[in-house]
Amino acid sequence: MEVGLLLLAGGVAAGVFGSLLGLGGGLLIVPLLTIGFGLPIRDAVGVSLVCVIVTSSASAGVFLERRQANLRLGMILELFTAFGAVVGGVVAFLLDERILAGLFAILILYVAVSMGRGIRPRATSRPPEDGSYEVKHLGPATIGAVGAGVTSALLGIGGGRVKVPLMHLLMGVPLRVATATSNLMIGITASASAVVYLLRGGIDANAAGPTAIGVFLGARLGSRLGHRVDVRVLRVLFVAVLLYTAFEMARRAIGAS
Amino acid sequence: MESRRSLEAGLEGTIARLLTAGTYGSIALLLAGTALLLLEGRSPLDLGPAFDPAAIPGEILGLRSAGFLWLGILGLIATPSARVVAAVIGYSRLGDTRMVAVAVLILVVIVAGVVAGTAGG
Repeated sequence: MEVGLLLLAGGVAAGVFGSLLGLGGGLLIVPLLTIGFGLPIRDAVGVSLVCVIVTSSASAGVFLERRQANLRLGMILELFTAFGAVVGGVVAFLLDERILAGLFAILILYVAVSMGRGIRPRATSRPPEDGSYEVKHLGPATIGAVGAGVTSALLGIGGGRVKVPLMHLLMGVPLRVATATSNLMIGITASASAVVYLLRGGIDANAAGPTAIGVFLGARLGSRLGHRVDVRVLRVLFVAVLLYTAFEMARRAIGAS
Repeated sequence: MESRRSLEAGLEGTIARLLTAGTYGSIALLLAGTALLLLEGRSPLDLGPAFDPAAIPGEILGLRSAGFLWLGILGLIATPSARVVAAVIGYSRLGDTRMVAVAVLILVVIVAGVVAGTAGG
């Protein structure tokens, strides 16, 4: 019972933090399950993919209702992210767990440093009222989309950190639309690799249940808390947590843990 | 043009409702599965049950946690694909063959994932 509640609470925390800081849950869930609960990293990635689908589907519905997401652009790009996700899902079962831990440590370190320096793409442009903007550089963006899919499948993350800058900076899509569209795409990307994980025994149903429920509740709670919390303080705390997590993952990668 | 815009808005609304319903339905199944798991006196960190689609109906009728958990997980994984199926239908009605082709290709990639998963399972 206690472990179930702890997993649920961990999922809630990941959902709240993810929602407040604009991150997918995967970045938090994989370390939570591996470092906190001792799950093998590949099982943690499988559970994380399920959680990422929860947050994507729940929020994408809202974004579509508000007509913030660009469905056509999302579907064209997700064709390529889904392809990358299937490839990544297959590769994940060929790689040693220590390599996955090493890749995760690098990813967390990158996010911690970029969050610490505040170099996330800023809202320099606003979506025009009539929603008209010209999508540029679709060809190069599809290559980036394949990369986002592979990364998502290997590490159990949504890949918004790749997709949003890709759409905003390369394709000229307004940040708000890029964020909403990325959210929509994450569901298909994660489900393409989750199928591979499911059929190869990489999803633990017992662990996935409470964690996914927690993430669902946490994301809803986070969206309501957004305007009451000082995100700058949260960001500093979070960078510290990420640096510690990167250290622990690096230790796993070199076999010291 | 106005009618096309309204048809497209209708498609997006349908997809939005589908995503919301799929998520809430799947979470309800996971909630039932997790409650049953705890009532069975098992820890979520115990080795989970193997995925066996044929066993799910029996497990649900027998009120066993595994059936609810797997059905919830399947529901979550299938929800984005269901949204793509809805797009195939919607864009067909709009006569947008390019988007129909894109949506069908996404489904082909998902099927490729099933084949890749089964081949290595």
